[in-house]
Amino acid sequence: MKRFGDLILAVLTRGAAACVVLMLAVLLGVLLLNAAPSVRQFGAKFLVSSQWRPNEVERPVRDAAGKLVFADGEVVTETIPPAFGALPVMYGTAMTSIIALLFAVPLSLGSALFIVRVAPGLRIAGPVSFLVEFLASIPSIAYGIWGLFVLAPFLREYVEPWMARVLGAIPGLGWSVSERIVSGGEVIVKPIPLTGRDLLCGGLILGIMILPIITAVSRDVLRTVPRGQIEGTVALGATWWQSCVGMLKYSRSGLFGAVMLGLARAAGETMAVVMVIGNNNQIVPSPFAPAQTMSSLLANEFAEASTGLHSSALLQVAMVLLVMSLVFNVVARKLVVGKGGRTAASA
Amino acid sequence: MIGMRHAGGMLGVVAGVAVMAAAAVGAEIRLTGAGATFPAPLYKKWVVEFEKAPGGKDVQIDYNSIGSGGGVKAITDKTVAFGASDAPLSKKELAALGGAEKVVLVPSCAGGVVPAYNLPGVKGEIKFTGDVLARVFMGKIGKWNDKAIADLNPGRMLPDMAITPAYRSDGSGTTFVWTNYLATQSEEFKGSVGMGKQVQWPTGQGGKGNEGVAAIVQQTPGALGYVEANFANANKISYGSVKNQAGKFVKATVESISAAGAGAVGHLKGTVLSTDIWNQPGDASYPIAAFTYLIVYKDLNNLKSAEEAKALVAFMDWATTGGQSTAREMDYAPLAPDVQKKVAEALATLTYQGKPVK
Repeated sequence: MKRFGDLILAVLTRGAAACVVLMLAVLLGVLLLNAAPSVRQFGAKFLVSSQWRPNEVERPVRDAAGKLVFADGEVVTETIPPAFGALPVMYGTAMTSIIALLFAVPLSLGSALFIVRVAPGLRIAGPVSFLVEFLASIPSIAYGIWGLFVLAPFLREYVEPWMARVLGAIPGLGWSVSERIVSGGEVIVKPIPLTGRDLLCGGLILGIMILPIITAVSRDVLRTVPRGQIEGTVALGATWWQSCVGMLKYSRSGLFGAVMLGLARAAGETMAVVMVIGNNNQIVPSPFAPAQTMSSLLANEFAEASTGLHSSALLQVAMVLLVMSLVFNVVARKLVVGKGGRTAASA
Repeated sequence: MIGMRHAGGMLGVVAGVAVMAAAAVGAEIRLTGAGATFPAPLYKKWVVEFEKAPGGKDVQIDYNSIGSGGGVKAITDKTVAFGASDAPLSKKELAALGGAEKVVLVPSCAGGVVPAYNLPGVKGEIKFTGDVLARVFMGKIGKWNDKAIADLNPGRMLPDMAITPAYRSDGSGTTFVWTNYLATQSEEFKGSVGMGKQVQWPTGQGGKGNEGVAAIVQQTPGALGYVEANFANANKISYGSVKNQAGKFVKATVESISAAGAGAVGHLKGTVLSTDIWNQPGDASYPIAAFTYLIVYKDLNNLKSAEEAKALVAFMDWATTGGQSTAREMDYAPLAPDVQKKVAEALATLTYQGKPVK
């Protein structure tokens, strides 16, 4: 009877494990299959083109002198087919992630150090850890609503006018507060209207959302620093500050891994970003410009993708995102697990 | 991944609702429709009211608002009794359905798209022309006190404030109507931005759904966005009037949108009754309007029985006549009497396995 139970368990566990792997394989397969038309059409250009135009445009043909071309008394028109390029969303994802990291990394490392070095003495390590992790359990959409109705208006009213004045006054940084619009063959340069829904707001929201994971993993990494190491620095006369810096240095690759995990999370966050980023597939090098990330693009457009090529292009974006997250995760795990044994990342 | 998760959840919800509904009503005939979200509140009211209308006893109709594109796909795949779409069928879509002689497509009501704005301290409505709106959305007019806007609104103090154009970031029939209208008013807009359910805007901000655009407009002083007229009314968002083909500034109302539909009645021919009703002649016509459509096969053999076919035709007959007063109550523009006549003629051609249904 016991052997029969063993057999059942073996089948069940193997089946469950196979199912999980199979799901990933099917997901990848479906993505590849459906992205194929777009891959064939655009090839590598997909990654460097900044056009994202789902509609055809019919426009009059103009000759070298800019005059309309006539044939049989009618204006000759040309049809420009839809074009898809992922550069704007890759830019949006990269910039929001950088802003998120600039905001989250110092805060996370600081609170992780606090939890490991200071809080135990005060007997509050548990509650503080819990509160930081609690941030992770707030749904994305709640962050989005808070971002839309609280953070964005706050940035628009109080932070951005001040930032724009400072940035605009620095010689050579004028481009960071103006946008260049190419419209109908004309180039218009004008100040960006400050709306609070832009790269800055998207980045800050993401920063808050990735705080818990970076903090939790950093905390576990810092805890693996051998006690001898810390006591050694103190014995050699290091100040508290120097000893902490020593700790950070000792576990730097694990901490880097924690940051990478945060980055992977930031790249994949969707709903909150859709609500605060302004949803414009453009590359305007300014923190005040509306933008679009890969995941927000998918959330915005997938349900009503107008043509087969459009949804195929969206799936290719999804593929790029998946590959990117995979790379981030693999690198992060290698760094975190390779260094310090059991951590939150390996659990 | 997101899609799969939602799809799973939705299936559960749909199944749950279906079970409850079946238990509650015990209807003998059940029909399903799917498609456009814009008329969904009206359709959902219609299917309830239809149970008391002629031919509606013991008929239960479920309408899933999955979007116009989804509606066209569903009727093409014959997974529903009728599809619904805000945009007329493209040539390709019509061909996939078997061509114009296999399809009956009728308008069910009309809607308008309005330029909604947020100008603190400015009372009364702002007047626009299609050309000015096109230039704003191309980024060529950047300030509210631009001469082009000021000239249309003499005697009104317009602030020296940047305009933030706000548009739909998801594919939408609203964008389709808006861009098509602007393209009739500006060659430059037609040749650079172009028309479609989704286009590449050179500047401005995108919001998901009417509510996304509304949020941008309501939050951002200086924003100018486009939303459906009944959505703007329901949410008390201020919007301007637009100059129509006859040169009159008209505000979107149920009457002015219906008038636009009446102006286009001459273009309705055969059984595929789709026509553009933006930029129509007539002093009272609101210029940024469109029909929303119901799509069925001319021979209803995608249904299981002649009774089902009869119920479906009864529903469409009633919706496009008696149901129009409900449309009006809900702020959808009813079909003008002349349009209703054309719809009745088209519906009379429906057959079930070769035999006329009526």
